[in-house]
Amino acid sequence: MKYSLLLAALLSASSLMAVDTVQAQDSQEQQPAQSITVECATNECPPPPPALEDEPVLTHNKDVLISVTGQGVAPMNTTSPAQAYALAKRAAVADAYRMIAEKVKGVRVDGEDLIKNMMVKRSTVRTSVQAMVKNANVVETTFKDGLCEVEMEIVLSHSQFAR
Amino acid sequence: MRSRDGNRPFTFSICTLILLTSLTLHAKEYFISYRYVVKDATLYNETLYVSSAMQKCSGVPQEAIVLENSKKSNSLKEILLKNIDHFLSHVNKLALDVKHTEKTKNLHNSSTTILTLKTTCFKVDFNDNFVTIAPFK
Repeated sequence: MKYSLLLAALLSASSLMAVDTVQAQDSQEQQPAQSITVECATNECPPPPPALEDEPVLTHNKDVLISVTGQGVAPMNTTSPAQAYALAKRAAVADAYRMIAEKVKGVRVDGEDLIKNMMVKRSTVRTSVQAMVKNANVVETTFKDGLCEVEMEIVLSHSQFAR
Repeated sequence: MRSRDGNRPFTFSICTLILLTSLTLHAKEYFISYRYVVKDATLYNETLYVSSAMQKCSGVPQEAIVLENSKKSNSLKEILLKNIDHFLSHVNKLALDVKHTEKTKNLHNSSTTILTLKTTCFKVDFNDNFVTIAPFK
């Protein structure tokens, strides 16, 4: 009887310690994710990584040329090839503007995953960009197999940003 | 009493003044805004708003473009819609507002891009077979 009581006490003590250890491990594993969320929520995100060697940097005496290629397709219910071309070109120009805005200003990305019973039920990624683009030039337009491609360029100078 | 020869410069200056005044009065100012929506890489909707300015616009007219007006129409909107490609190539050089949203749900992607020319005042000169428009800055 004595031994059985002692055994039971030992088992309960060891199980409590094991639970504490697992909780400690869990909290250690969760720490990095929590720290990232908290840091960015208070606008104290780490500084951006330094520019790569090939990446153009905007300086006082050096302009940066940004070149993008936007793509667009014509709607299904067009009355003529000319109309299809015109509409596809407009869509391609909008795509090119979007790409310029993304390159210059950056993209906001929001992600959301719904996991239920250890299975991904829904995965959603939303990206958005809003910008005012000025002095963009259409360099070349090609239309082939219903796809219109517009090459667009914009020159950024330091004086446009430093005010 | 003045002689006929003496009156010639006076008459010329009066005529010039009348001509210039009429030309100035003939130039009108319009507010133009343009917006188009592209959904999933396809043009979805396009809106062009044209309104005559009730007050004089401030600023200096910038680079002008000449649009054809073979039907001698007085409606600027009609002329712009007829020469929309030429007008848009000029508008592209002005400031355009870009709004883009993209959603990927369970690996299905959909995107919407809205390009907007904010309401801008244009100086418009109607001539016989063409119209000259220049944005104010």
